[in-house]
Order: sequence, then structure tokens, then C-alpha cells
Amino acid sequence: MAKINQYEKYDLITAHKEISFHKAEMEKLLMELNIARKELVFQNDEKEKRATEKEIRAAELIVANQELAYQNKEKEKRAAELSIANIELAYQNDEKEKRAAELGIANIELVFQNDEKEKRAAEKEKRAAELIIANKELAFQNKEKEKRAAELSIANIELAYQNDEKEKRAIELGIANKELAFQNGEKEKRAAELIIANKELLAFTYVSSHDLQEPLRKIQTFVSIILENEEKNLSDNGKYNFERIQLAAGRMQQLIDDLLSFSRINTTDHKFVTTDLNLIIEEVKADLKDKIQEKNAIIEAKDICDVNIIDFQFRQLMFNLISNALKFSNPEIPPEIIIKCKIVKASILNSDKLSLGEKYCLITIKDNGIGFEPHFSERIFEVFQKLHSKEVYGGTGIGLAIVKKIVENHKGLIIATSKLNKGSTFDIYIPA
Amino acid sequence: MKLKQLNIVLADDDMDDCIFFKEALETIKILTNLTTVQDGEQLMQLLTSENYKLPQVLFLDINMPRKNGFECLAEIKQNEKLKDIPIVIFSTSLDVVVVDFLYNAGARYFIRKPAEFSQFKKIIQQTLTLIMEQNKILPTRDNFVLSVPSLLSYL
Repeated sequence: MAKINQYEKYDLITAHKEISFHKAEMEKLLMELNIARKELVFQNDEKEKRATEKEIRAAELIVANQELAYQNKEKEKRAAELSIANIELAYQNDEKEKRAAELGIANIELVFQNDEKEKRAAEKEKRAAELIIANKELAFQNKEKEKRAAELSIANIELAYQNDEKEKRAIELGIANKELAFQNGEKEKRAAELIIANKELLAFTYVSSHDLQEPLRKIQTFVSIILENEEKNLSDNGKYNFERIQLAAGRMQQLIDDLLSFSRINTTDHKFVTTDLNLIIEEVKADLKDKIQEKNAIIEAKDICDVNIIDFQFRQLMFNLISNALKFSNPEIPPEIIIKCKIVKASILNSDKLSLGEKYCLITIKDNGIGFEPHFSERIFEVFQKLHSKEVYGGTGIGLAIVKKIVENHKGLIIATSKLNKGSTFDIYIPA
Repeated sequence: MKLKQLNIVLADDDMDDCIFFKEALETIKILTNLTTVQDGEQLMQLLTSENYKLPQVLFLDINMPRKNGFECLAEIKQNEKLKDIPIVIFSTSLDVVVVDFLYNAGARYFIRKPAEFSQFKKIIQQTLTLIMEQNKILPTRDNFVLSVPSLLSYL
């Protein structure tokens, strides 16, 4: 045992201390245990007391519980009845609320209708007041009407009398109208007859002029053949006589042509067309180009405008006037013909043949030829009137009559002015 | 200008005019062969007869019995074989409306029968020369009417 080292000794001491401590502790614990054991015994006794009380209580509780159970069942029956009653009540409450709502709406409606009734009542009172005024007015007007009625009946008597008069007039007018209708019928017959007569006249004139020309031409042709072929067999006198025959036949031909032109102006249709006068002047110049060339004539057109005319008639007019200007020219002086246009108002002329205030186109044809004495200025327009014998200047004397007729057809006016050897001026007024 | 024999047909009912025409042709320096008919029906029969040698020019009078110049002109222009024959209207009177109508209907020239025989000769010479020189060329309306001035100055 000496070989136990220091450390082991220490450990033993410690352990010994340890064991001693623990022993003390254990004794404490034993003492406590005893106390506790005693406590426990006491408590167990208590517990047993309690237990018996509890059993008494338990038995009482069971009785109480049974009582309670019974009462609970009663309560449940009551509760069931109550819930049914509640449902019933709830239902009736709903119904009551519906009724209440309906009543509320009904009330609002009633209030509204009451308002309306009050408004109606107010208006009725207004109406009533107005009716009273209206009735007073009506009563007044009725009195006036009675006065009028009295006046009317007097007027009616007057009217009835006048109606009788009117019927008499109407009967007279009816008779007059029948008369007029009859006369119109007659006039229309006359007009139709005139149209036919005119057409027949034109046809007659055309055919007769055509049929007259044929034998005339034969005379001329045969005479010209005789003069050609029998030249050696004819005496100078004989030749001269035949030449006179030719000239006479030629004049007759010209006369037929002119008469045909003249008749055409009256009997053919009158269609007015707005035409450039330049075109007509050019055509006439073309027709007369041989004569123009032969005489070295100058034809000038200035300021020429459009005119509203019957085309073929106006062409005839210009042809006649220009060919006259060429024919009646001074043999020493080449003819100068100037044609001009101007728009004028009728009032500048004091003529009852033109409508005052209307616009007219003034066409002036001026030449530098032999002219004529002023006092012949109207005669030259008469049919078959000539200022020279046929030996000096040929012509039928119808040319200017045709011109004047054409101007009249256009509702215009022609005025000729001249001085001997100072040329002539023809002024033609045509509605513009 | 080639000188060839011209076959000419003249349709005219007037005996005098036919004689004038024949005599005029004799004086012209063109070789001609003339056939004359007296009315429109004769003319159409001649032109449409089988194997007939067509003329190079037709002189047509307007006023003829049975069928007049207007009708013949229309018929000829509608006939394929005949429509190219130059037709010269040879009439007594000169009416602008009629002349316009004939120009539009296809006639080649219009002549108003002249009064003097010298004019007669000249106009026929002129016409035949024109037709020979201008074979297919058609004249304008201004050149449609042919005329020769008169030697007599009774105007």
C-alpha cells in the first residue's frame, strides 16, 4: 500500500469526502421521505373522505341530472314549438313588410294623385273663368252676326238679280263665241287654202319659169348657130336683126330669173339663223368673180358682224346690191365698194317702220359709181322701175324691188342716198 | 393628156339639145363615140345590159319622162359596176338647192345648158378635158358648177 501515489491518495480523499457528503444528503432525504410519507398518509385519509362525499354528491348529481334531462326535453319541445312559432312570425313579418312597402308606394301614388287633382282643379277654375269671358265675346259676336245676316240677305237679293243679268250676258256670249268659232274655222280654212295656193303658186312659178326658159334658150342657141354657120349667107342687116333677137331673148331670160327670185321671197319658208355676214359677202364675191376681175373692182368689208337673217334671201340681197354697184360703175374709174356694219339704236332715226328702243344692225354698202338723182331714192325700189333705158344699162328693174322685199321680210328698213356721179350709199337696218 | 376615144352617153329627151351636143362634139379635138337615150328607163336599161362597155362619161339631163335624172343618179351610185362613171348634170335651170343636192348625191359636175352655141361648144370641151385630166379627182363644191361667160353683154 505504500505504492499508492500522491495522486491516488488525493483521489481517495476526495472520494471519501464525496461519500460522506452523499451520506449526509441521503439522511436528509430519508427524513424528508418520512415527512412526505406522513403527509401522504394524511392526504390519503383526506382523499378517502373526499371520495365518500363525492359519491354522495354523485348520487345527488344523478338525480339532478335526471331532473335536468327531463327539463331539457321539455325545453326542447318548447324550443321546437318556439322555432315553429318563430318561422310563422318571421313569415308574417315578411308579409307585413311587403304590405308596408305596398302601402308606402300606394301612399306616394296617392300623394301624387292628390297633387294632380289639385292641379286639375286649379286649371278647371282657369278654364271656367276663360269660358265666361269667351261666352261674353260670343254673345257679342252673335249680335254682330245677326246684323251681318240682315245685310247679307239684302245683298243676296241684289246678287240674285245680277246673276240673272249675268246669265243673260253668258247666253249672249255663248252665241257670240259660236259665231267666233265658226269664223275662226272659216279663217283656218282660208289660211289652209292660202298655204296651198302659195305652194301651188310657187310650183307654178317654178315650172312656168322653167318651161318658159327652154324655148327661150332654143331661140338663142339656134340664132347663134345661124349666125355662125350662115355668116357668109347673111347680109349685115340680117346679122343685125338676128343679134337683136338674141338680145331680146336674153332680156326675157333675165326677167324670168328675176321674177322667179321675187316670187320665192314671198312663198318659201322663213328660217332665221345667226350668220357671219363675211361668209355671205365672200360667196357673192365668188359668184361675181368674173365681173369683178373684168372691171378691176375692189370690194372691201369692214367691221362686219353676225346678223340674224334668212340665209338664201340675204345672199340674194347682197348679190343684187353688189352686182348693181358693179354694173352702175363709172367706166373710167374702177369700182370701189365698201361694206360696213354698225350697231345702232332705232331712236336715232325718226322712222315709224322701226321699233323704237330696239337695237339694229346698220349695214352700209357704198360705191363710187354713177349714182342717181336724190329725188329717185324711193322710186328705184319699185318693181320694173329703171332710171336708164335698157340700151344703156340692161336689167329687168326687179333687182332693187327684190332687195326691198327681203329687207321687209327681216322687219328692217332700207334707205338709198346718192348724188349724180358721186356714187350711191345703201343703208340697211336689220334687227340685231 | 392621152388622146383616146371617149365613150360618151347623153341622156336627154330634148331632140334639139341632142343635136346641139352632137354638133358640138364634132368640133372638139377629142375622139368621141356618142350614144344618146331619150329617157331614164332607157338609160338604166342601156347601162345595165349584159356585156355593155361602160362609158367614160355620162351627161345626164334632169327632166326626162319615165325616170328623171335624180332617180338615175341615185340608182347609178348604188350600182357597184356603175358608181364610178363620172356624171355631168346637164340642166336647163340653176337652183342652188338642187345643185347642192346633186353635189352631195355624187354628181361630178353641173352645167346649165348655155344659150349661145359657142358657149355650148366651149363648155363641153372644158368638161371633157377636165374629166380626162382629173379622172378620179372629185371637185370641191366651189368647182362643181362649170360655166363659160357669154359673149353677148346684155347685162
